[in-house]
Amino acid sequence: MNFLAPAAFLFAISLPVVVVFYLLKRKRVVKLVSSTLLWQKFLSETQASAPFQRLRKNWLLILQLILLALAVLALSRPFFATKTKPAQLRVVILDASASMQATDESPSRFEKARSEALKWVDGLANNDQMVILQAGANTEVKQSATSEKAALRRALQSCVCSDGPTRLVPALRMADSLVRDQRSAEIHLFSDGAVPELNEFENKALPLVYHRVGKNSNNLGIIALDVRANPENARQRAVYTSVANFTSNSVQTDLELWLEDKLLETRPLNIPAGETSPQVFVAQQDKDGVFTLKLSAKDDLAADNQASITSLLPKPVKVLLVSRGNRLLEKALRATPEVELATANDLTDAGTVFDFVVLDDVAPTVWPKGNVLAFHVTNTNWVENVTRIEAPAIVDWRSAHPLLRYAGLDNVQVMESLAAKAPSWAVSLVDSPQAPIILAGELGRQRIIWIGFDVLESNWPLRVSFPIFIANAVDWLNPANAKSAQLLVKPGDPFRLALAQPEKSANITMPSGTTRTVEVDPKANEFVFGDTLKQGIYRIHIGTNDMSFCADLLDNAESNIKPREELQLGKFTKVTATKMQRTNMELWRTIASIGLLMLMAEWWYYHRRTV
Amino acid sequence: MPESLLTPSLLRRLEQFQLLATRRAKSTSRGERRSRARGQSVEFADHRNYVAGDDFRYLDWNLYGRLERLFLKLYEEERELPVRIFLDASESMTFGEPRKFDFARQVAAAIGYVALSGFDRISVIPFPNQPPYSEVQATISPTDYNVELAARGGLRSVRGKKSAMQFFRNLNVLTAGGPADLNASLRRGALEARHAGVAVVLSDFLDPAGYEAGLTALVGRGFQVDIVQILAPEEIAPSHFGDLRLVDSETGGMQEVTFGRYRLKAYQQTVQNYLQRLREYCQGRGINFFTVSSNTSLEELLLKQLRQAEVWG
Repeated sequence: MNFLAPAAFLFAISLPVVVVFYLLKRKRVVKLVSSTLLWQKFLSETQASAPFQRLRKNWLLILQLILLALAVLALSRPFFATKTKPAQLRVVILDASASMQATDESPSRFEKARSEALKWVDGLANNDQMVILQAGANTEVKQSATSEKAALRRALQSCVCSDGPTRLVPALRMADSLVRDQRSAEIHLFSDGAVPELNEFENKALPLVYHRVGKNSNNLGIIALDVRANPENARQRAVYTSVANFTSNSVQTDLELWLEDKLLETRPLNIPAGETSPQVFVAQQDKDGVFTLKLSAKDDLAADNQASITSLLPKPVKVLLVSRGNRLLEKALRATPEVELATANDLTDAGTVFDFVVLDDVAPTVWPKGNVLAFHVTNTNWVENVTRIEAPAIVDWRSAHPLLRYAGLDNVQVMESLAAKAPSWAVSLVDSPQAPIILAGELGRQRIIWIGFDVLESNWPLRVSFPIFIANAVDWLNPANAKSAQLLVKPGDPFRLALAQPEKSANITMPSGTTRTVEVDPKANEFVFGDTLKQGIYRIHIGTNDMSFCADLLDNAESNIKPREELQLGKFTKVTATKMQRTNMELWRTIASIGLLMLMAEWWYYHRRTV
Repeated sequence: MPESLLTPSLLRRLEQFQLLATRRAKSTSRGERRSRARGQSVEFADHRNYVAGDDFRYLDWNLYGRLERLFLKLYEEERELPVRIFLDASESMTFGEPRKFDFARQVAAAIGYVALSGFDRISVIPFPNQPPYSEVQATISPTDYNVELAARGGLRSVRGKKSAMQFFRNLNVLTAGGPADLNASLRRGALEARHAGVAVVLSDFLDPAGYEAGLTALVGRGFQVDIVQILAPEEIAPSHFGDLRLVDSETGGMQEVTFGRYRLKAYQQTVQNYLQRLREYCQGRGINFFTVSSNTSLEELLLKQLRQAEVWG
């Protein structure tokens, strides 16, 4: 048996109240009278001697009539029809991102949004259906379309706010697909509006109703964090961070830097309103560890007041240069710090002992399995339809790519180059009018940079951009760097770890301190852990390895908790926050409460009038 | 004491009255009331034929002179009027402010005084009877018991104005208590009486067994019955409200009642209904019926109501 309104059982509290009324013993005053004869006659006359009597004015009667009327009214479940139009299907999207944890609403924006959504559930007409979606880092369907209010309430109660950023696009996409062919359907978004671009929905005419929660933007947050070797002293580590002030006043706070459990530095900051304060900390580090930054100021959102990052000590990069002799390239590689260069004429094994292999105008006996920087080679596994072009003009290059950071290809001339259409795994870095001549991408787990020309047939080695490009390439191809990048995830994103050998299980200590054991498929060559909803430090023990990874918000849009009055869908479409109340505002609870009060008044009156 | 029953001024005014009996006196004792009996008085009644042995002194010689036949002149015999006062001395009469019993004794004293002044024989019958001493020895001294016993005996038959003081004294000694059985007392009183006369019943008529049988017996015996029903103010308009457990003073029976001011009217209606039934019953049998509250003025009852109803005049 199910109950649509199990909360109504709270009214059962009134049952003992009624019993108490009857337990109360009526204290009768004993009085000696001359004779009870007249009283007996009086009682027999006032008792019913005929089936009907004339109706007399009696307050008890009036009270009981009112009570009964209220009960009937409550049973009829009346409601106030508000201006909202009826909808047969309502898709409720509950924003469960970090900004919804802000405490400017009591107890939090998320709870406020949940209670608002619950009111809409209460107002659901009997035949209408509702879907509950939770939009956190991932979109979760908490309840598929149903009219069962109990199930909808349960689904809303089971929603949990995460520490992750808002990813509203998948949620809206799903909602859109649900309401697409419905005649009267609405999407109700309960959010603070701290959401990324929604350009995709500009022309879709979403029946979106935006319920804004949140009052103010009293928040200070760490929005960026990185750790690298100190450029001035390679033995030290430099921690780069940005602290943003989203309040309307300048804020004084202390920024603390911790290495594991040790406080390294406390820096007082004074950040003007709306400004971002970039900070660099320099610290000594003897072994791999986790740097944690903490803000001491109290604000409405606690999730972004702390951020951690795993810092691995730099290790020498083992590079094999397979070449028939290229001093310029060799020199450029050697100039890069931490590189241990080995050279060879040919590659006879997969080159797995090296971090990456540089192929310079050779066709090796065995193609390397690790990361590759390839100059003027043809491998049909990588690129197809390779053509030769003479003196290609470099017309464009992707300067935003990490490989071409600070490496502009102005004044670079190439005598002859191979060119290929960019395959699906790669992006074009440098384009000639005919076809791309430099490609980079990840094929499987192999990172490949393919350069179509021999550097000796160009003037590139003479340009300052060449050593910078080589240094960038070393960074990009170094698996350790990729690994350390993997050690920082957004809350809600899965953590991935390549396994060198099969493992059976992994022990994970969560930020809360609890430990979980996760089964690992022995055939898998990758370990994936998805329960990263809470930010903080996750410590993993897998096989013989111990490592830590961190889940951090580090999201400018999410830390800016200012509630938005409007949601911008592209350039020209926007959705204004609604002030709509829930439809079908049911009144029976109020009426039943009044009825209970009437009942008590009636009891009181009945006893009062006998005195 | 007599003073406590009736004031001297009231006594003086009562002396002017005489009980008015609608029926001829049937007593055998001579008195001052006209009767159907023939005897010696100044009131001529009839003639009858002379039979041998009649007293010559009553022959009507004038008639003999005219008709030459002997006739005897008959005169009305004046007899006394026996007045019986049934005085309710039950427990319920001890209620009220002033007490119903005190009021009833005053009425009894007044009626008795009027009767004595008119040379009528008065008997006061308090009921219930005095219980045996063994039952009440815890509450009453033997002297008081005997005094009351003597007083009850002294009230059985009183005649002549000279006995008035003693009559009052005896009335004053009476106490009330115990359960009344109105019907039995009236029936017994009717049977005991050798001659019917005037019967005055002073009671509250709050007997669960009713009153009809007793009154019927009195009327049937030939009494001219007058009723004075005495109720306490509290019985007419109760002043106690709330959840009550009422205990009957005579039967000890309990009655639980929830009573509020809003039901006062309904109660008073009940009282009026009860009185109306009693009144109608009395009217149907030629009984004079009066209802008084024990706090009404005695003069009002004696000098106005009883006079207007021609109980006396």
